[in-house]
Amino acid sequence: MNRSVVQLLVLVGVVAGTWPAGCARQDGEDAIVLRVANWGSPAVEQDFMKVEREIWGEFERAHPGVTVRVEQIPGLGQYAPKLIMMHVSGSVPDVIHLDASSAAVFIDNDVLMDLTPFIERDRSFELDRYFENVVKIARRGDKLYAIPLDFTPMVMYYNKKLFDDAGVPYPRDGWTWAEFRHAAEKLTVFPQGARHPTQYGFNFENHMPLWVLWLWTNGGDVLNPDGTRASGYLDGPASIEAMQFLVGLMQPANGQAQVAPSLAERAAAGVDLFLDGRAAMDLKGHWMMINYRARNFDVGVVTLPTNNIEPVTVIYEAGLSITKLARHPEVAWEFIKYITSAEVQKRRVATGLAISANKQAADHFAGNPVEDAFLRAVRYARPPWGARVETYELCEDLGREMMEDIQYSGVPVEEAMRRKAKLMDAVLTEH
Amino acid sequence: MNTHQRTNWRGYAFIAPATIYLVIFSLLPIVFAGYMSLHRWHLLKPDKPFVGLANFQTLAADPFFRNAVFNSFVYAIASVPLGVVTSLAVALLVTRRLRGVGVFRTLFYIPGICSQVAISMVWIWILLPETGLINYCVGKVNGWIAGAGLADSGLIPTTTNFLQEPGWAMAALVAMSLWIGLGPRMIIFVAGLQNISEELYEAASLDGCTGAKSFWHITLPQLAPTTLFVTVTTTIAAFQLFTPVYMMTKGGPQRTTDVVLYHIYKEAWQKFELGMASAQSYVLFAMIVLIAAVQLWLMRGGLATEEAR
Amino acid sequence: MSAVGHPVRRCVGRSLLYLALVVITVTTVLPFVWMFFTSLHHKDAQLPTIDNLFTPEGGYHFGNYEYVLTFGELPVWRFAVNSCVVTCGVVVFQLTLCSLAAYGFARLRFRGRDAVFFVFLLTMMIPAQVLVVPLFAIVRNFGWLDTYWGLIIPYPYLSTAFGTFLLRQFFLTVPRSLDDAARLDGCGDLRIFWHVILPSAKPALATVGAFAFIWTWTDFYWPLLASSSTTMRTLEVGLSVFSDAYAGTMWALQMTAATIVLIPVLIFFLGMQRFFVRGIVQSGIKG
Repeated sequence: MNRSVVQLLVLVGVVAGTWPAGCARQDGEDAIVLRVANWGSPAVEQDFMKVEREIWGEFERAHPGVTVRVEQIPGLGQYAPKLIMMHVSGSVPDVIHLDASSAAVFIDNDVLMDLTPFIERDRSFELDRYFENVVKIARRGDKLYAIPLDFTPMVMYYNKKLFDDAGVPYPRDGWTWAEFRHAAEKLTVFPQGARHPTQYGFNFENHMPLWVLWLWTNGGDVLNPDGTRASGYLDGPASIEAMQFLVGLMQPANGQAQVAPSLAERAAAGVDLFLDGRAAMDLKGHWMMINYRARNFDVGVVTLPTNNIEPVTVIYEAGLSITKLARHPEVAWEFIKYITSAEVQKRRVATGLAISANKQAADHFAGNPVEDAFLRAVRYARPPWGARVETYELCEDLGREMMEDIQYSGVPVEEAMRRKAKLMDAVLTEH
Repeated sequence: MNTHQRTNWRGYAFIAPATIYLVIFSLLPIVFAGYMSLHRWHLLKPDKPFVGLANFQTLAADPFFRNAVFNSFVYAIASVPLGVVTSLAVALLVTRRLRGVGVFRTLFYIPGICSQVAISMVWIWILLPETGLINYCVGKVNGWIAGAGLADSGLIPTTTNFLQEPGWAMAALVAMSLWIGLGPRMIIFVAGLQNISEELYEAASLDGCTGAKSFWHITLPQLAPTTLFVTVTTTIAAFQLFTPVYMMTKGGPQRTTDVVLYHIYKEAWQKFELGMASAQSYVLFAMIVLIAAVQLWLMRGGLATEEAR
Repeated sequence: MSAVGHPVRRCVGRSLLYLALVVITVTTVLPFVWMFFTSLHHKDAQLPTIDNLFTPEGGYHFGNYEYVLTFGELPVWRFAVNSCVVTCGVVVFQLTLCSLAAYGFARLRFRGRDAVFFVFLLTMMIPAQVLVVPLFAIVRNFGWLDTYWGLIIPYPYLSTAFGTFLLRQFFLTVPRSLDDAARLDGCGDLRIFWHVILPSAKPALATVGAFAFIWTWTDFYWPLLASSSTTMRTLEVGLSVFSDAYAGTMWALQMTAATIVLIPVLIFFLGMQRFFVRGIVQSGIKG
């Protein structure tokens, strides 16, 4: 027994001894600790994080007495809940990274400061240095809640080698669904006797932020322009036609060949088929460039094919905001200004994660055909619904379920869309 | 009188630290949740009106919440008896005097020491169609059958998409819970079995009571407190299933794995409707209390403190 | 059961028992074999299949471990220290609270005992999902956010009630004659608790300790909420950045991180095994 008592005491000693490490970090009177929250994912990019760290260090040196404390919030879907809990309990970071897809929750609930007074006061800051289409994501009337950091429009990537091998000409901006389907059919390899294609023309993933664009490129949409109702939009004729086209890519029907993996085939593969060289085209954003470059993957970029309408796409974006309860708003503003400046942006985006929202920095990479294709897409890009509708995430869950209903349970497309539109209505009107 | 008073005082002293702790960190939040459940309490909206029992009325009429309750019951009814019986059986197995049995006991426990997030990733692989472990093995069996000339090589389908087919998804979650919970439950049973005095068995064997008989007449009654504990905690855990659903099925396919806690999670952290989420929590709470009370009553022998007196 | 049976029958019986043990072992261990060997694939490699699991392209990549452990922006060793401090803290704290309370509930008589015990049980039965909101506010009011206090003390799960319940159930099975003998020798409750009850309930204490250890070590949700700076992260939270990377799932790195988190618990559990085994040797049951 005695020995256990000693062991216990040692243990308690260890615990007590290490405690001050956590408690001693109290902000002194003059030392300013600027708390900055971001989501953890890009941390996996070593180069990117290295650059970020350097940039924060430079900001600290330029502002003596200021320490930048970055608080990463990793974990699937944990970012908004944790920040909101911090806000409610009164201990929230000064600066937060604002994801366009979940911006509405923060903007419409008084969590963030309006930045226009800062902009008006600060002569060294010019808002027109940033892409207008990106800035407007966080705009409400004459108020602005975030300065855009970086962004990416969704584009169609294609694997040049697979196109060359199949003798299919590369697609060009402004192409149509019919051309897309034609190319995809030629790029699909379905050997005799195989259970499913060994190579697909298009890589499909049941991720609504991506496939919603098929509705948009047919002139359809999920919600009405006010974002208050899905009935008549998600189950409107244009959306239904788009969904039938999309599902037709995955399920051979009416004499048309399958050109994309069904949900089951996608699950069985367990991998990104495009990255694996087993799918010729993929609808994704700029972040994939990191992987493509790392593998010397020769990809081309083209606008999304449309059903004979003007090109359209979505912008997913990260901005920087100051929280309403920030302890050091002035320093926070200096920080935001610094991070979004052209000089700093050039270094940040060199790692390839996204495109700088600062035109000057973005132009720095112009001339490269891939980057140019992304920049061209900005003109006709729209903000995601999540930037305007608080509960849109739940609508996206319903969208994922809808695709499963259609493919796994054989619910007819129209029926599935009508059912989910009703459920989305309920989600939207609760607020 | 004097001794009774002394016992009284000491009893309170012994339970005081844990009681104070639970009051602050458990009861206070629980009471607050009850308060929230009577309001329309959006975490971020300043206006939080009192609505009485309206949240509960909404729930009673909500088909999706009823569905979630139903799913939780399906899961509990499938996983609790199976879980308790299998882990008791395995505990009996690993408390036998067999060479190397300690090694097996350790190996059986390993699933219980891994984080549920990592476990879920591993199970996603196990359950994948075609490339996953189960379907791969099925394919091999098909191959042998075909090799022996008994049937076509496609006898059993290898394309079962366990996590995406209604019916299979819930079965997969139950299987996973058995696998994760086996070790922890087994260890509690092992500790319980070890606490049974050897003398009881010796005395009984003199009366010719050995083997199966001694199991029914000595082991099971003596194990009652342990069995009660395992059953109640397994039931609670079953109704609080969350991480595997969140990681593997997201409540699908067709909401067949949308269990109550996952439902609550979405209400609280996607809609931020804490009032409604609290009401749902209280309904779940009431269900668990009711079931646990029934279990405690059925196995009241395992709870009693005074029978020794 | 077959101690007095025919030798051949006994031999067959034993073989069947071993067969059962081996079959269960395969099902419990195989997934971890997959986990480990997946971690040896190249970090950019696709999901391994059984056919190439043991023979990854380009040989085994032990480099993944170096990659994760020396990852520039992640102080992995600091995470490990945090995990140790937090886990040990929770184990010591909870064991102390639980065993004292369990003794009170199992051995002493006082008014309202059963009602209080029932309230203890009730606290296990409400899910933590909504409780974290008030709990977070309480922890913040104590000024414990982002400190070890906040990570250790308000453990928002079953543990206190669970541990008290489990220990109480075991204390009940300790023969009362032992206490009575000690009481005749003039021992008070504290000494009976310390010298009689605790030593005879060692396997149960080890069990509760092991549960508290494993739950704390592998927990994700509470440490994510209670800590905000990188230096206060535990291993499970700190290494989770590998699981939600932008470009889909990085199986190899994720399994590397999972293995790194798993190994210390495995070692701890193997160490604890001694306690479980000793109980068995002392009172070997049946033959």
